[in-house]
Amino acid sequence: MHNDKNKLGIIFFPAFDWAISPTHPEREERLLYTQDQLWEEGVFDIKGVCEYKPDVAERTDVERAHFCFPDVDAVTTRSHMIAAGGAIRAARLVLENECDKAFALVRPPGHHAMKVVHGSRGFCNINNEAVMIEYAREHYGIKRVAVVDTDCHHGDGSQDVFWHDPDVLFISLHQDGRTLYPGSGFPTECGGPKALGRTINIPLPPRTSDEGFLTVLDRVVLPILDDFKPELIVNSAGQDNHYSDPITNMNFSAQGYALLNQRLSPHIAVLEGGYSIQGALPYVNLGIILAMAGQDFSHVREPDYNAEAIRQDRRIDDYVDALCDQLPALYFDPPSTPEDGSFSNGCYVRKKNIYYDTDGITETQVESLHLCDDCLGVLKVESKSSVNPKSLGVQLYAGACESCRSLALDMVEQARLKGDYRFIQFINRCDKEYSRYGY
Amino acid sequence: MYLGIDVGGTHTDAVAVENGAVRASCKIVTRHEDLLASINGALEEILAQVDAGAVRQLNLSTTLSTNALVQGRIDDVGVLVSCGPGVDPASFAPGRHFYIIDGAIDHRGVESRALDKAAAARAVDDCRKQGVNVFAAVTKFSIRNPSQEIALKEAAQDADFVTMGHTLAGRLGFPRRVATAYFNCAVWRLYNGFVNAVSESIRAMGLNCPVGMLKADGGTLPLDVSRSFPVQSIFSGPAASVMGIIALCDIRQDSVIFDIGGTTTDIAVFAEGAPLIERDGISIGGHPTLVRALRVRSIAVGGDSALSVAGGLVRVGPQREGPSMAAGGGRPTLTDALNAAGRSAYGDVAASEKGIADMARDYGVDARKFAETAIRSAVDHIHQETRAFLAEINERPVYTIHEMLEDRRIVPNRVYLMGGPSHSMSGDVREAFKTPVIVPENASVANAVGAALTRTTHDVHLFADTQRGFLLIPSLELSEEVGKNFDLKAAEAEAKRRLGERLREIDASTGFDDVEITESSSFNMVSGYGTVGRNIRVKAQVKPGVLERINQS
Ligand SMILES: [Zn+2]
Ligand SMILES: [Zn+2]
Repeated sequence: MHNDKNKLGIIFFPAFDWAISPTHPEREERLLYTQDQLWEEGVFDIKGVCEYKPDVAERTDVERAHFCFPDVDAVTTRSHMIAAGGAIRAARLVLENECDKAFALVRPPGHHAMKVVHGSRGFCNINNEAVMIEYAREHYGIKRVAVVDTDCHHGDGSQDVFWHDPDVLFISLHQDGRTLYPGSGFPTECGGPKALGRTINIPLPPRTSDEGFLTVLDRVVLPILDDFKPELIVNSAGQDNHYSDPITNMNFSAQGYALLNQRLSPHIAVLEGGYSIQGALPYVNLGIILAMAGQDFSHVREPDYNAEAIRQDRRIDDYVDALCDQLPALYFDPPSTPEDGSFSNGCYVRKKNIYYDTDGITETQVESLHLCDDCLGVLKVESKSSVNPKSLGVQLYAGACESCRSLALDMVEQARLKGDYRFIQFINRCDKEYSRYGY
Repeated sequence: MYLGIDVGGTHTDAVAVENGAVRASCKIVTRHEDLLASINGALEEILAQVDAGAVRQLNLSTTLSTNALVQGRIDDVGVLVSCGPGVDPASFAPGRHFYIIDGAIDHRGVESRALDKAAAARAVDDCRKQGVNVFAAVTKFSIRNPSQEIALKEAAQDADFVTMGHTLAGRLGFPRRVATAYFNCAVWRLYNGFVNAVSESIRAMGLNCPVGMLKADGGTLPLDVSRSFPVQSIFSGPAASVMGIIALCDIRQDSVIFDIGGTTTDIAVFAEGAPLIERDGISIGGHPTLVRALRVRSIAVGGDSALSVAGGLVRVGPQREGPSMAAGGGRPTLTDALNAAGRSAYGDVAASEKGIADMARDYGVDARKFAETAIRSAVDHIHQETRAFLAEINERPVYTIHEMLEDRRIVPNRVYLMGGPSHSMSGDVREAFKTPVIVPENASVANAVGAALTRTTHDVHLFADTQRGFLLIPSLELSEEVGKNFDLKAAEAEAKRRLGERLREIDASTGFDDVEITESSSFNMVSGYGTVGRNIRVKAQVKPGVLERINQS
């Protein structure tokens, strides 16, 4: 019989009755073969592995992490609330010590969902990890969290949500943005003025194989995690780096994903993308689960696995080597100012244009962070999109100083009285109050 | 008239039921070393009271296979598996003759690696040399494509018996399929010998009726069919009791059933009047299997559970040290507490009173109060375990948004009590559960009544893949071609039709109307930007039920 190494909770919610559209990659069938494989392999009979039902996230859980315009209900469906609830359940299992580790195998994904949400981009509406982390921080008193995003696409949503937060270390490994959606995720993007070096982007060239991923993990990710000492490590476990994925160009394997998970040893994994639903997901998920449970995964292999066919080119070895030499400095010795944006009147300001490819929405944003020497300051986002008139989001961080607190309250009050905002949302982490106006 | 015999751990119970009434019953001590004698003994007593010629059906529930496994009186089995990559099979391999043969089938049923037939033949030879003559042939995903299991069986064609995994159940779970096939082979010889002997002796007693063997899922299997599936006869005891309560009471709501025995209390749960079935299957000797069973939880509280005091609290169980003092034992038990509290008058009441009084004196409390506290403690324990059991049931995972939002929860509003102390504890149970408590008449032979009246059950899984153009019903060893237009409705109809046919083949008394669809899903398979076919899964079953009910006065 199996030894129980780790108690692993799996929240498996395939949403068998939900799709973006009938032939969309994000459709009912996506986790069908994964379920078949996990059941046939007897994963849930392994001692220490247990299946749990997701929670259903509440509106407040989303409002704690996002500015949703016009409101949460308008930009989410029940499936999103259950996927985010699945991530919350994973955090509860771990933080309440019911499990050592937890894997939220849920859909739809979330890592392209940014701080402000007007609709769906990159198949994501709300950011499951962000909702989970803010829930965990509010309910369990943890502070420092690391998110390692191993989806093939740059986790631009998660990067945006945590851009100004020095207590969340966000590391994304992905296919180089010059060759793949969403086109971002370069090393120069390394965090806002208060969180420089807390966003680390590792763009890898197309056809990077197990070797490249594991080298980057050993030489960049793990040393940084060692230093950061997070209370919780979260893996955004996208599986589209797989050599068989239809919409990407990487050469990662199930065995590679399992090894990565074994070495990273995250407390929580949350499924992100991955659309080779027959050739990759069944095997990658099996590998990740066995690795998280501390079980032997050496026999996990895709039926069509061919080491020669996916071997990494020498030029990729060299490229990865160079990345490994340069990237740790971004964390250990970050630049003194962000690469973009400008400073004016005690604020850091940046302007953004965002395209929601899934819903075809365009958004323009002016984001400004009031800079404070005593706390993280006050974040203010003015946003306008093709579906919503100019709206405002204000966030006060946990542990804010008294003057920032009054500034934020005043900002919201003034906006309500005199502003020309259609919708206003106030995330007050300091007092744990989440309010909306203009509805 | 229906006869039922339940060979239990302590007693063998038998009844004859006719037109809603128990015509005859008996209870004899089980002789573990000779189960046939226990059956014959019980049968003789019953047939002395009723006419053998009037018997339409005889059902048996026996501990034969269970005991054989517990005591290790089983055959060595050659286990031949083809599984390809995945979880290391060494982690769940049963027995000493386990052979991994190169070959693999994937989740769609595509052969991703051909079977090494020469290696299979060598494995069989190797087993034969060691005197192994029964074989389990099991492939990962054989229920999507049984061809490699069929080839493995062919490699062992001269064997005494071969079990192919896909014939046991249509459900996923390769390690469970391996274990189920293994146990099926391990008890095959012993079971068939027993069936021969039983058949002979019941004919000798003048019975010419069909004989059924009780299964753990609350159904029966005709004796002849059961010869190939002996593993199905395992752990049928709790099912006999649960089916008994169905025959004795007209259960229509969410309910809890307690069978309070000597050492344990079995808890079963009913949803809208139907007993719950385990989602997976029972475990045998630590190996999870695909053997379907009613969902029953046993806890270590019973009439013979010893009383103890720890940290100022009176506890009942979990240890049992002989029978109650009322029955000549040396230490007070729950039964003695019930006697001493004046709730019952079982056996030597004076001995119970003395035992409880002595124990109470040691702790400086009033004897009567001590006895009452012990009873409440037992009921509290049962109550807590039941709540945990229900929480677990209500936590069962669901996979669609519809089910998630529907969130059907089981909230029992009736408690049924069976077993020796039922009447004397019903008041406490009512108080703890805050629901009506029902103690049916004839509850002491409910298990044998259950055995007598239980119907044949059967279930089939249908899998269809219209892209590849086939459907399979593994347990019926059936495969057919299907066209592009084959859909969920057609699949449901086909599953019902095939199950109906099978039922008429094995047991004419079960009606086609009893077939129900319990799982049904169809997924569009997409490739590129278009739909290329449907992936359909349907499960049809005859749910557990009784042939008739016993009239309650
Ligand atoms: Zn992706
Ligand atoms: Zn401040």
